[in-house]
Amino acid sequence: MIDPISLEILWTRLVSLVDEAAATLVRTSFSTIVRESNDYAVVLLDRDAQLLAQSSQSIPSFICTLPETVRHFLRQFPRDTLKPGDIMITNDPWLGTGHLPDISIAMPVFRDGILVGFAGSVAHSPDIGGRLRSPGNRDLYEEGLRIPPMKLIAAGTVNETLIEMIQSNVRIPDQVLGDLWAQVSANRMLGQRLLEMLDETECDLVAVGKEMHARSEFAMRSAIQALPEGDYEYEARVDGFIEPVTIRCRITVKGDALAVDYAGSSPQLPRAINVVPIYTFAYTAYALKCVLAPTVPNNDGSFRPITTTAPLGSILNPKFPAAVSARAMTGHLLPTAVMGALAKVIPDRVRAAAGSPLWCVQLAGAHEGRRFASTLFLNGGQGAGAKGDGLSALSFPSNLANTPIEVIESQAPIRIVRRALRRGTGGAGKTRGGDGQVFELDLLADEPVAMSFMADRLRTAAPGMLGGGPGATGRVLLNGAPIDPRETLVAAPGSRLTLETPGGGGFGPTSA
Amino acid sequence: MSYRIAIDIGGTFTDGVIENAATGEIRLAKRLTTQADPGEALADVVDDLLAAVRHVNGSGSPSGAVTEVVHGSTLVTNALIERKGASTALIATAGTADIIDIGREVRYDLYDLDIQMPKPLVAREHRFELAERIAANGAVIAAPGQAAIDAVVEEIRRSGAQSVAVAFLHSCVNPENEIRVGEALKVAMPDIAISLSSRIAREIREYERTTTATANAFVQPIVAKYLNELSARLRQADIDAPLRIMVSSGGSTSAGIAAEVPITTLESGPAGGVLSAANAGRAAGFDDVLAFDMGGTTAKICTVVAGAPSVVHTFEAARVRRFKKGSGLPLLIASIDLIEIGAGGGSIARISDLGLLTVGPDSAAADPGPACYGRGGKGATVTDADLMLGYLNADFFLGGRMRLDTSASEAALQRLGDRLSLTPLEVAKGIFNVVNEAMAAAARVHIAEKAQDPRRFTMVATGGAGPVHAVEIAHKLRIPRVLFPIAAGAGSCLGFLAAPFRVDRSWSKPQGLETVDWQVIATTLADLKREAEQEINSALTSPADVVWQISVEMRYVGQGANLTVSFPWRSISPAFAAELDAAFRKAYEANYGGVLPAGSLEVVTWRIVGATRQDIKRFVWPTGEAASAARPKAHRAIFCTQADSMSDVPIYDRYALGSGTRLRGPLILEESESTVVVPVEADVEVLGDLSVLIHLGGE
Repeated sequence: MIDPISLEILWTRLVSLVDEAAATLVRTSFSTIVRESNDYAVVLLDRDAQLLAQSSQSIPSFICTLPETVRHFLRQFPRDTLKPGDIMITNDPWLGTGHLPDISIAMPVFRDGILVGFAGSVAHSPDIGGRLRSPGNRDLYEEGLRIPPMKLIAAGTVNETLIEMIQSNVRIPDQVLGDLWAQVSANRMLGQRLLEMLDETECDLVAVGKEMHARSEFAMRSAIQALPEGDYEYEARVDGFIEPVTIRCRITVKGDALAVDYAGSSPQLPRAINVVPIYTFAYTAYALKCVLAPTVPNNDGSFRPITTTAPLGSILNPKFPAAVSARAMTGHLLPTAVMGALAKVIPDRVRAAAGSPLWCVQLAGAHEGRRFASTLFLNGGQGAGAKGDGLSALSFPSNLANTPIEVIESQAPIRIVRRALRRGTGGAGKTRGGDGQVFELDLLADEPVAMSFMADRLRTAAPGMLGGGPGATGRVLLNGAPIDPRETLVAAPGSRLTLETPGGGGFGPTSA
Repeated sequence: MSYRIAIDIGGTFTDGVIENAATGEIRLAKRLTTQADPGEALADVVDDLLAAVRHVNGSGSPSGAVTEVVHGSTLVTNALIERKGASTALIATAGTADIIDIGREVRYDLYDLDIQMPKPLVAREHRFELAERIAANGAVIAAPGQAAIDAVVEEIRRSGAQSVAVAFLHSCVNPENEIRVGEALKVAMPDIAISLSSRIAREIREYERTTTATANAFVQPIVAKYLNELSARLRQADIDAPLRIMVSSGGSTSAGIAAEVPITTLESGPAGGVLSAANAGRAAGFDDVLAFDMGGTTAKICTVVAGAPSVVHTFEAARVRRFKKGSGLPLLIASIDLIEIGAGGGSIARISDLGLLTVGPDSAAADPGPACYGRGGKGATVTDADLMLGYLNADFFLGGRMRLDTSASEAALQRLGDRLSLTPLEVAKGIFNVVNEAMAAAARVHIAEKAQDPRRFTMVATGGAGPVHAVEIAHKLRIPRVLFPIAAGAGSCLGFLAAPFRVDRSWSKPQGLETVDWQVIATTLADLKREAEQEINSALTSPADVVWQISVEMRYVGQGANLTVSFPWRSISPAFAAELDAAFRKAYEANYGGVLPAGSLEVVTWRIVGATRQDIKRFVWPTGEAASAARPKAHRAIFCTQADSMSDVPIYDRYALGSGTRLRGPLILEESESTVVVPVEADVEVLGDLSVLIHLGGE
């Protein structure tokens, strides 16, 4: 038993060590998504691979994936075979974070020859080979290089074979390996800082972890217990692919535990919008944390009272080798489903559906003989809630920034002619949904440009909540005419592309 | 004989210092800030300072001997927070007037579904678009037509705006369209204030640059009026000396420039505090300093390496949530890179959702204040804990001007203790430890971001609560020395007096290092320097030695974070490329431990800084006769952290200790503004200028 003061101090210290390592990772990263969008995580685990602390800025998709990954590592490389200087690596979607670009690594930390914990990190690599990320991919093999659990470094010796394999299978090997070494040095720094801290405090990490987990678990269980027992259901829909994608969600609150079952959701698709179970859990747990216990830290304890299930072969539990690279197109719906189900019991804490999932356009081609590629993110409106209108053009549930017009234009032959709010596109209600935006650009390249998109809610609007109206649907226009953004297409030089993102749903009846 | 004066108008107090330029001798004055008309308190402080000097030197008014007045205030900060600025319009490139609503589309808190974003400073009906366009390489795609300009000018006239910001895409590369519109506005509406984004912040990223231009426009008319009034006040006091205004980058500028680009004066008070700490460190022989200031509500921490505070080129103003990065208006201004966390004497202790003891960031502030103030505050604060631990003297708080109620502290601590099954003393120890760890944690991450080793630093501690907590925080960070400078009550003002005259210019033009047209760079930098020289020459009363520096923000192609390399001013030629390459790789290795992929390099932003040469200021504070022997004025029990127990230690009157005094902790040094707490065994040394240096060992 550690007293509540020592525990607060040790825990503050552990978080600061992890954030210190994260600061180094972010500053040295080549991946736009890592540094602009915090698409990374650095974690510290105890020797039983239980999460002690996670970097503060990491985005929701990494909630608790790394501890799971490290447990997979330990199945491959039993604890007693690990040596100082080992670094393990994988990007397997089922063992890692749900798609190939995220590379997870972990390093055992030894103190006087005894294993005391693990330093882990995951970061979105600038490239992973395969086809460009598109929801049109049909199986995992199209999506790039898969690294099974391996040792990147064994007792200090770099696995040159693996390095060469990676180097030969990605488009920008310098940047990919640069990021990987940035991860390695962040992990080593974390290991070093942990040892210094242990020398200073002589604290028992397992005891600290147990106590934090117990307290977090208790706080989460108390929040669940405050909900009325029962089954709560909701069905969320988006345009999807061949036919609309449906997420059926049934939340069972019983005592101090909460189970979310996704039976009845769409089956897995031969498209890259399937979501592996760990990602299903991550976005479900994220939504529950937001509405039930926003201040409780992410750790194994706080998520112990929560379970998620989906039948094998579901879009939320696909069979290998399902394509998964655009998993966010489905995963981003989970918070909508969870909040929809809980709307009747905690209407003051949830929000109507956002104009999500995230939109993205990728443009690739050549101009004056030089190749270019641009990936641009844009967001719709936030859903309205009891406490206020939704914000316009806001990333949710992910947290991806837009790229400034001046940066886009200095890197690619593109001219942005409009970035403006689509006023009035948020759903009506007692509080209004946030507005979407219009983003319009001219292609200046002298050759045709290949375009691929993530763009949903063109037919299925973000619904309102508890009597609120739906947001406006989005539109994708090429030279003024609507196009189907679900397949890659090629645009003639001089074309104008117009993206209009959806509005968020309204909340409550308008006449209140 | 000549004098210099510094005045700092803060939220509560207006502080002033007058310095005898020949001897470095200083005198202090302090008045309550007069919110309605800040000039009133300023005039009173100036009178007090002049009287203090007259009192020493006998007859005759010294006002004629004042050669310079340096000033800083919270006017701009408050105008942005309270949204009390001028009615402001914006002219933007066609299709982009909503940029200030859209921002960057990210949430600053992942788990709070009900966040609010800072509202743009220009209302929608005051935003106007103009058909014009510059390309990313600076080529003019479309110049604004005369008819279109006339129409926009007419709309602005009708809107009744007093101030207008002009922000066009890529004006950081080529400002000519902005300049053209600015000139048309000036002709048509001679009285309107004009802020061109390319003049205010010539840097890439349209949302941030536009926001900076609108913020400048928003405060410009009120700052111009304020500075006029101040000048008049000084003339009334018979002071005919130039007025210099502190800027956030840690220098000062002329009143004329401050009236034109007031947004650069945003953080002048905190900048003064850091400069003061840097100067105190240098005067004691330490160039690498961690400036640590802890007041009633916040603690501020800043690294100073080789005598120079680190400067960043973005600052967030008017945050919706004070301690949440991303919740404010992003401004592209050079500012001293300090972190601020919600830990001060008034920070309230609570029990978190996890049942742990946490402290802050909410504060009891001055009213009702900590429980021991006896003004109705019920929460146990850091000050209550410090009192319980014996660090503060209930009868000598603020030099005895305020009595503290020990039993009220104990009762507040008891209430928390009842829920944690702890005694009031244990809770007090907990609060002290938790708040120190929180500050150390913030400092640790900040130091890591700067790729520095804390063991090189000397901590310089200021603020009411800083000297109470400094030794423990230094210990946690493994910082070997802590310095307590003189005249704690005048902190920022001493920094103002130590500040160089400074001018900053920047120019963003991202391009690969191999493809740079060096002729263009040479011409542009020469133009910027000429403009900056004019600014400096017009403001300096006597010719001074100005040191010019070129800084280049660079990165590997594909990276987003820049690394800055700096050079003394030099002529630009293609040979510079190899030097930049070498300097960047060296800095990269130093920062990131030699992770060096074979990437090619990109230059993003060029900066020119001119500053008058900065000598170490050696201030002398006449504090009366020091006792010949160091004798404690009392003993009392304080919490000694190493021994983990309450023990009797000697209490000294700090300014009764002569220079050269050496003592051994644990002990306490009391002064009217604060209390130096040494709760561990350590060597304590009084330096020549009466600043106190603690050696924590391990050196």
